[in-house]
Amino acid sequence: MFKRPRLLASVCFSLALFFAAVSPAPVNAFGDQDWKPVDPAHLALKAPVVEKDADAEAIFWEVRMDDAEMDLVFTNYIRIKIFTERGRESQSKIDIVPFRFNGRIKDVSGRTIKPDGQIVELKKDDVFEKVIAKAGDLKLRAKTFAMPSVEPGAIIEYRWREVYPESSANRARLYFQRDIPIQNVTYYLKPASNMLGVEALRYLPFHMALPKFEKEKNGFYRTTLTNVPAYHEEPRMPPEDEVRKWMLLYYSGEKTIIPQLFWKQFGKAVYEVFKSDMKADDDVRRKAAEIVADAATPEQKLERLYEFCRTKIKNLDDDALNLPVEVRRKLKDESPSNTLKKMEGRSKDIAGLFAALAIAAGFEARPALMADRSDIFFDPSFADPYFMRLIVVAVKVGDTWRFFDPSEMYMPYGMLAWQSESQDALVSDPKDPVFVQTPLSVPDKSLEKRTARFKLDAEGTLEGNVTIEYTGHLGKDKKEYNDDDTPAQREETLRSLIKAKLSTAEVSDIKIENVTDPFKPFTYSYHIRVPGYAQRTGKRLFLQPAFFQRGANPLFPTTERYNSVYFSYPWSEQDDVTIALPAGYALDNADAPMNIDAGDTSKYQVKIAVTKDGSTLIYNRKFFFGNAKGGMLYPVASYGQLKMLFDELHKRDNHTITLKQAATTASAAPAPSN
Amino acid sequence: MSTRTLGLCCALVLFCCAPAFAVGGVGDEAPAWLTQAAAASVPAYQKDVPAVVLHDEGQMTINSDGKIVTTTTFAVRILTRAGRGSAEAVAGYATDTGKVREIRAWLIRPDGQVKRYGKDETVDLAGDLNDVYNQYRSKRIDATREADAGMVFGYQIITEERALFPHSVWYFQGRLPVLMSRCTLTLPSGWAATGVTFNHAKIEPVVNGTSYTWELRNLPPIEPEVASPEVTSLAPRLAISYTPAQGASGGTTIMGARSFSSWTDVSRWYSELSDPQSAPDDAIALKARELTADAKTELDKIRAIGRYVQDIQYISIQIGVGRFRPHSAAEVFAKRYGDCKDKANLMRAMLRTLKIEAYPVLIFSGDSTYVREEWASPSQFNHCIIAIRVADETKAPTVIQHPTLGRLLIFDATDENTPVGDLPDHEQNSFALIAAGSEGALLRMPVTPPEANQLEREAEVSLAADGSITANVKERSVGQSAVDERRMFRRLARPEYTKAVEKWITQGATGAKVVKVEPTDNHADGRFALDVNFTAANYAQLMQERLLVFKPAILSRTRTAFPTSAARKHAVVLESEAYTESVNIKLPAGFDVDELPDPVKLDTAFGSYSTSYAVKDGQLQFKRTFTQRAATIPPTGYPAVRNFFERIRAAEQSPVVLAKK
Repeated sequence: MFKRPRLLASVCFSLALFFAAVSPAPVNAFGDQDWKPVDPAHLALKAPVVEKDADAEAIFWEVRMDDAEMDLVFTNYIRIKIFTERGRESQSKIDIVPFRFNGRIKDVSGRTIKPDGQIVELKKDDVFEKVIAKAGDLKLRAKTFAMPSVEPGAIIEYRWREVYPESSANRARLYFQRDIPIQNVTYYLKPASNMLGVEALRYLPFHMALPKFEKEKNGFYRTTLTNVPAYHEEPRMPPEDEVRKWMLLYYSGEKTIIPQLFWKQFGKAVYEVFKSDMKADDDVRRKAAEIVADAATPEQKLERLYEFCRTKIKNLDDDALNLPVEVRRKLKDESPSNTLKKMEGRSKDIAGLFAALAIAAGFEARPALMADRSDIFFDPSFADPYFMRLIVVAVKVGDTWRFFDPSEMYMPYGMLAWQSESQDALVSDPKDPVFVQTPLSVPDKSLEKRTARFKLDAEGTLEGNVTIEYTGHLGKDKKEYNDDDTPAQREETLRSLIKAKLSTAEVSDIKIENVTDPFKPFTYSYHIRVPGYAQRTGKRLFLQPAFFQRGANPLFPTTERYNSVYFSYPWSEQDDVTIALPAGYALDNADAPMNIDAGDTSKYQVKIAVTKDGSTLIYNRKFFFGNAKGGMLYPVASYGQLKMLFDELHKRDNHTITLKQAATTASAAPAPSN
Repeated sequence: MSTRTLGLCCALVLFCCAPAFAVGGVGDEAPAWLTQAAAASVPAYQKDVPAVVLHDEGQMTINSDGKIVTTTTFAVRILTRAGRGSAEAVAGYATDTGKVREIRAWLIRPDGQVKRYGKDETVDLAGDLNDVYNQYRSKRIDATREADAGMVFGYQIITEERALFPHSVWYFQGRLPVLMSRCTLTLPSGWAATGVTFNHAKIEPVVNGTSYTWELRNLPPIEPEVASPEVTSLAPRLAISYTPAQGASGGTTIMGARSFSSWTDVSRWYSELSDPQSAPDDAIALKARELTADAKTELDKIRAIGRYVQDIQYISIQIGVGRFRPHSAAEVFAKRYGDCKDKANLMRAMLRTLKIEAYPVLIFSGDSTYVREEWASPSQFNHCIIAIRVADETKAPTVIQHPTLGRLLIFDATDENTPVGDLPDHEQNSFALIAAGSEGALLRMPVTPPEANQLEREAEVSLAADGSITANVKERSVGQSAVDERRMFRRLARPEYTKAVEKWITQGATGAKVVKVEPTDNHADGRFALDVNFTAANYAQLMQERLLVFKPAILSRTRTAFPTSAARKHAVVLESEAYTESVNIKLPAGFDVDELPDPVKLDTAFGSYSTSYAVKDGQLQFKRTFTQRAATIPPTGYPAVRNFFERIRAAEQSPVVLAKK
């Protein structure tokens, strides 16, 4: 089911020739002040071409990016066909905001072509410059306007220029998708011509075919993409830039880039830069010896070093510390020795100290760089460090590189934050840097363990005590969410979670423990009373034993899906529920729902039993999803299967058993079953 | 490269400006008033109260040249981290009539260290980002990221403005508890002020010459509750009017500001402002004739024009007096966009060409109890709708009687989901001003009865022996029930709408496969129809191969959030709504009904509910009806409300048991 994502392009592409000749800028921004002729067929168009049911569709969107001079200039021209009232509403009011503070929006013009061909110009007076915000000398100015006389059937078109003084297109992300579908997107790019040491403007496409560039007049290169669907947001989808069609622009000094060679050189450079940050002096060596003194194996040594850095060194980047901005700004990079002396440091300092201690304890340790999985699924065939934004420590144990991030206070030994899991990490080295994939944690590492001891009365009211423990990524998520809240806020968060599923629940004796404890699982415990939990008829009570799933909605309620489904990490659940049955009632039926076995991807097991005296129902549920080999990305094609799995799960969690008044009940309580 | 949302960019500005804020001085002294306020002892509040206002004072000085200078001093103690949001100073102003002379703030840490915020930490933001242009702006100092529990945040703001009316409003409280809130008004010699208190016993001012001071102390927090009145109807507020001592005659101008001694004055003022803008031109007249060419009745004509105006794009451009005066009807008609007053004004113009008289209506949108009769001021309104003079033959639930103008049909030309003959529920029952010159009056807006907002659902369901169901559901809604449906239908693109319907169905029937979604919007009649067909495997649970158990209330849809908490502080506000449901379930061969839930019949002053079950010819007939009357029930009546909704919830969870023959 799983397919590891790869970038569409395996190599990077260069656009301009070496030091392309400087070309004169066009006489005016749009090349031709006249609007392009309107095709009568477009005016007559009754339905969208690209995406069925679209309310509006761009007939074309043209962007000229001129990076040849000191200023970076984008010239936009878009023509949109309106099909419905919804399209009219969404497209009539336009806000154009520069993406950098120094940007200026200029030369806005627009017009509406009504269905009968009548043209209504956007008047200059109707274009407003709005200072959205100003602070000191900084001002963010937008141009806002409403297109006149827009109605279904009409075409609107408008143009504008964005000017960014003394800016470069290097590492610009050019998007080919909008909130509406587009028939033709065309980018005209004119690269810089006077950047010293730069060979070419290169581009890397994402989620789109390799664009073909054609040389235009005045030094521009043109590429067009046709029939581009709208960008749709959905729950549990991959990061935005892993879904949208876009292109990264960047300048590079190399004529031909061989990724393997590039990363070798880059990995060596990284090592040189960080070498001093891992340097162990006598103090560090002494400390390392002290920490690992009673450790027998390399694994024990590493664990002690990791736990020392994670739990004893205060991380000054921790938002729960709530350091004043001015204090945080004054923090400097510290050597391992100083970090040890102060027993505090920023994330990078703690990583440096851990590496230094590991080296002092006889390990090989290296800084390792990687991309952030919540931003992009990195592919090393892209020979540029642009995405490499995370740093961890690689330590060699035997022949294997192991990865550690001791700045993550809530991540237990052996685990990385999920954003760093299953990523190609570049292990730096003075001679031979290598890419090694970081492991994806197994479901057992992130466990939600729930226990409940209840009594049910004859009216259907359920009452008792609940304990829930979270470990691994689940525990970290809970701790991060709660650690800067007050006890009252934490309680309120819990009450809201319960009320969302059980609206009549009365919750008391709440305890929330281990919120900032680096070792123990985050734990909720509380007393709960739920009137009407079981439904009573004349002679029966109907009871859903899966208490923790009661009131939950299906995970995937819709049939259609635009994007892949993406889970951040594998997880598991374990429920242990006992319910003392009301006097005078006994089990009439205690069938358990069938188990689900989806191989390595997921398993669901339920056991329902009663105590020998028939007085107490015992419900056990185990579930996991995801596996370390398969990853967590499911393409649209497998959505149906995934939905079916979670629908089945939901149904089986809603499984009901029957209690019957004892006088009329058959003698035997059911044997434990599954 | 695409246009981006303003909200995002605004947040970006604030974020990016944040480092610059660090230049504020640490170690400065707080002013004496703040130090004194910070020393106040604070009562013990519930642990979820995030902050307490220690000091809130506004000192307004009206100068003889009409300029108003206001000095606001404010101090808040942050009790929990959730209270950090209170550490913000905001000074609103309109660029054409006012300015912020000074804005300064201080954060006092528990160790007594003081951080000062001034010009370098001030951000100036556009008022409403949704407007194409708006002259309202605000200056802000944001200390929320540096504030924490135990700290005291205080600010002082000095503003200068020229008021359009000699009126002012002082809000003694938001939701936070307040130790001291004080408003002082200093007038030129010979002037006098009067105050009207809302949501609190009358507050008498302390008068010292021409200086008036109103003060309240020790106000408890106002906690949010489900279905409670808006906070604007719970927190004390003071409406102040000021006039020369001799008293002003109605409609006179004082120092450039208009004063009002009655609602008729306000009506005259607004008519003078808006009437000249409503003159129709030839194009408007032509369009009005074209739209009503097939209309047979007066109501048909009003519906046709109303629909046209509602479909005009809502765009707000607020410049100068344009905040109150509509753009000319001709301009709005030509551009096909405008705001609420522009739309009401264009509709007036179009109706006038058909010889139907209409008047703008000023109203407060969002809280139907906000506007009070006892203070005649335009400051009480934030929205404009329309009243249309109609003949006796024109019948609709939203017709009211005016003492001299006769029958008036009230209509909101901005809410595109609420057709002629209906009114958005948040406007019903509120006071609104019919701006009809000397004949204008403040009148209570109509309330539509529950049956005018009814949802009817019919479902034909076939249950198989394996527990699967095939269901054909027909929903027919009208009034505000239809508005909710229509809003979703209009807002979402068709694929998204289908997904939303699927989500609703699968909440009742897990894993349902929806095979047909057919919405029909009859906007003119205020009706909405939705036909949905779906199948769901294992809807009924088969137990021991002999019992089939299922809930006949498969689907649910109600506009009211049921209150469930054990205790209640504020009244419960219920809106007018009703639904009926009739479900026919064809039972599988080989099964008999073993148990049916008991029928339920509830009847209270604010609502009624009933269920019934019958088995006939192999079919189970399940019926339920719900009626809720618009009502505000005091906290003492809450147990009855809670009990009513709990019993409904229990009834809808009740299963039917079938047994194999």
